[in-house]
Amino acid sequence: MAASVVTWAGLAAFGRACGSIRSRLLGSSSTLSQVSCLHTSTELNSKHWERKNLVVYPPQQKDELRRPAEIYHCRRQIKYSKDKMWYLAKLIRGMTIDQALTQLEFNDKKGAKIIKEVILEAQDMAVRNHNVEYKSNLYIAESFSGKGKYLKRIRYHGRGMFGIMDKVHCHYFVKLVEGVPPKVEQKTGFDQAKEYVEQLRNRTIIHSL
Amino acid sequence: MATSICRTLKYLQPTICLNIKPVFVPIRTKKRYFIPPAVNVKQKSQSEQETKARAAGVVVRQQYIERAINISCTAGIFDPYIPPEGDARLSTLSKEGLKQRTEQLRQSAASQLAFRKIKDHDPEFSTKEFPALAQQIFIDAHAALTQFNKEKLHSLVTERCYPEMVRGNRYKTLRWRFIESLEPPRVVHARCPDMISKGNLYGQVTLRVHSRQTLAIYDRFGRLMLGDEDEPRDVLEYLVLERHLVNPYGRWRLHGKIVPAWAPPKDPIIKTVIIPGPTLKPEEAFEDLHYQVPKPKAVQWYK
Repeated sequence: MAASVVTWAGLAAFGRACGSIRSRLLGSSSTLSQVSCLHTSTELNSKHWERKNLVVYPPQQKDELRRPAEIYHCRRQIKYSKDKMWYLAKLIRGMTIDQALTQLEFNDKKGAKIIKEVILEAQDMAVRNHNVEYKSNLYIAESFSGKGKYLKRIRYHGRGMFGIMDKVHCHYFVKLVEGVPPKVEQKTGFDQAKEYVEQLRNRTIIHSL
Repeated sequence: MATSICRTLKYLQPTICLNIKPVFVPIRTKKRYFIPPAVNVKQKSQSEQETKARAAGVVVRQQYIERAINISCTAGIFDPYIPPEGDARLSTLSKEGLKQRTEQLRQSAASQLAFRKIKDHDPEFSTKEFPALAQQIFIDAHAALTQFNKEKLHSLVTERCYPEMVRGNRYKTLRWRFIESLEPPRVVHARCPDMISKGNLYGQVTLRVHSRQTLAIYDRFGRLMLGDEDEPRDVLEYLVLERHLVNPYGRWRLHGKIVPAWAPPKDPIIKTVIIPGPTLKPEEAFEDLHYQVPKPKAVQWYK
């Protein structure tokens, strides 16, 4: 085992030095009017996705197109990998809600059952709280997974070696929109080839005769 | 790998058992991250668990089972006014209408008593001027509800009426307009109940209001849920206002509405709603059951 000569006193001194450097940087930037070099990130425990359900739009006029209802729902700290969950989220993107529920019901993965529960909850919320008329008239506009907080444990190897094992958790987010899902245009290989040839033909040669 | 010490010595004094001499006992101080559940343990009853916990020295904090009571308003409408049938159907000019009106106000001796009691505590109260004041409170309260001005709404409406007005409306847009009053508002009923102790008087006065109003409710996305902004409707309402008479800072506030049993049914919302039907067995068909949707009983209720 490598012996590191890092003592607690040394670490503390390093931390203090870092702090002074950062405060000096902040001081120099605050003299300028713009603080563009600072990167503002989200705070810990930010529940932005849930807050999207609290947005109120002003009343529409009679001649405007009826705004489709959007319902945001998520589940946090699911005991599953975010990469494995991504496959299921990608599967149901753009499907109608009934089609998505059928596909998830007959999928063998662990995350399928969880996503199905989330979508059913969101559908119930939509009908009760968000004034959605027909519960089948919804489609999945956005669906993705994110990394949750991992717990760390020790994985024992041979010869006294150890590794840090991550107990993975993920979040799952879904946005349901009222109406018929938009048609995605399927581009054939022939169309792509035609476009490529057109691009080549539209090139102009500058500084030529 | 450097590890912290996991064993310390605890000094045991002869407190509980007098046979033991004072001695140092080695104990483990390393934190246990996971304690597996004990196997083959018999279920202890509540009293046994308590004695064990007390012996171990575990103190459970006293649990306060508190329930907040609001004393600035009563919880309901006492001895409510029962509006006579056909109230707005008969015109005021016909003989029958006039007779009914004069009868109502003279009849109830209890109302007269209540008025006297109210005038004892609040000398500025008068049956002639109160209706105009009350109608203004009503209009202001509904305007505050449209803007969702919480502080103003609390000052114009009692704590019993507030949740009923506000429930479900937080993420909706309300547009309400009071166009005109078709008949001058009248006081029809009054009661002075006392809560808990004998002298704690609250005054409840019922007002009959016949007016023209428009109402439109839009949901979170700005789509019309109910009503129409341009279509005024004639509305007959029985408002109940309450005041805590004994409190010198008490004010007349809207306490509730009485919806009579003969009131016409409300308009349906602009949405198809599923009414839960009977659960069918595999051999039954829904058409053969001849299911009648149950209609609610025509009972007077309070809003």
